[in-house]
Amino acid sequence: MDDFHSGSPIFIQIRQRLIEMILRGGVAEGDPLPSVRQISADMQVNPLTVTKAFEALVDLGVVEKRRGLGMFVKTGARAGLLTHEREKFLSEDWPRIAAQIKALELDVSTLLDQTPKGTPSK
Amino acid sequence: MTDQTTAIAPIVSAHGLRKKFGNREILHGLDFEIPPGRIYGLIGHNGAGKTTTLNAILGLTNCEGTIRVLGEDPFAKRAKLMENVAFISDVASLPKFLRVRELFALLSNIHPNFSQEKARSFLEGTDIRPEAKVKHLSKGMVAQLHLAVVMAIDAKLLVLDEPTLGLDITYRKRFYRRLLEDYMTEERTLLITTHQVDEIEFMLSDIMFIRDGDLILHMQMETVSEKFSQLVVSDPASAETARGLKPVYEETRFGQTVMIFDGADRAVLETLGKVSTPTLSDLFVALMQRPTVNPGDAR
Repeated sequence: MDDFHSGSPIFIQIRQRLIEMILRGGVAEGDPLPSVRQISADMQVNPLTVTKAFEALVDLGVVEKRRGLGMFVKTGARAGLLTHEREKFLSEDWPRIAAQIKALELDVSTLLDQTPKGTPSK
Repeated sequence: MTDQTTAIAPIVSAHGLRKKFGNREILHGLDFEIPPGRIYGLIGHNGAGKTTTLNAILGLTNCEGTIRVLGEDPFAKRAKLMENVAFISDVASLPKFLRVRELFALLSNIHPNFSQEKARSFLEGTDIRPEAKVKHLSKGMVAQLHLAVVMAIDAKLLVLDEPTLGLDITYRKRFYRRLLEDYMTEERTLLITTHQVDEIEFMLSDIMFIRDGDLILHMQMETVSEKFSQLVVSDPASAETARGLKPVYEETRFGQTVMIFDGADRAVLETLGKVSTPTLSDLFVALMQRPTVNPGDAR
């Protein structure tokens, strides 16, 4: 559960988990997200840290606070997050991965046809 | 100005807090304020002055200097303050000859803010039966019972002195989970001391490191991660360059050099090795060995 890594701030890691939850369809648009208290207790993190993660998602425009009810996933959140995460992948991850593919002299088209080792094939 | 100060009136404030036992000074004049809604970790070696500080807050010891808890002098107004302050100390015990049910009845007679109903609800889902005698409970169950008791007190400040000492990992996790799930709110403040600091690191909003009776670090956790960096270097040349940036601590682990920096530029460090935020226990070890950590800018 609490497998945080020391690389990035905890609130970013919680924000990222919430993003993954929405992207995977774990929480549908219009549905409530787990409460600050729930996440805080589950992950054993400070409630203020969880609040900060939620605020980051509000800033991205994907969740909204309904007074007295908690946080809800907004309509269109999934599409918005996909755009956001794709941009992030292309600007932050892809250059590094592309460089590694080049350094290892791998062929992209062959790579795409291969099932990565260690991941169960469907 | 006045609005702001009333809005964030500190739960605890200490100025020049000093304590002597005979000729030996245990606390050398501590200054700190604890605002509401926060989870504080008070961390220090055995004998550093943690328990004395907690005793001063709880009004169990008279100190020089001033200390105010919820605006009152805890030593003079102890009985009144205890309506709004609850604590578990590592040496406190519950009366062994009582049954759980009798303990709750007793408490609701002597404590105005204790709710029997709440206490009973906190025991739901545990193996503790109302008819059980305290002396027949296991150590972990006693800790659960003790937590149920203090959480059933509608207090503004909860002081936990080594609350999970001697408990196994399952009980420790359950203990903190309970606190976060059923107790913590924006109006309540927790002050925790523990030697198992890594377990509660992410729960804390602020830390205070106490060493030989001095407060050597008092900081929000967020600031800790901005201010302190840990660098792991594998090659001697980079280690030498890094040493020039004046780490506050250095050690060798598995042929790699681990350094901790205070206020170094992370972008510069990234060119030398792997950078991260030190864990609280690593930071504790690093700072406990330094002669002074400029307590002046510890906030």
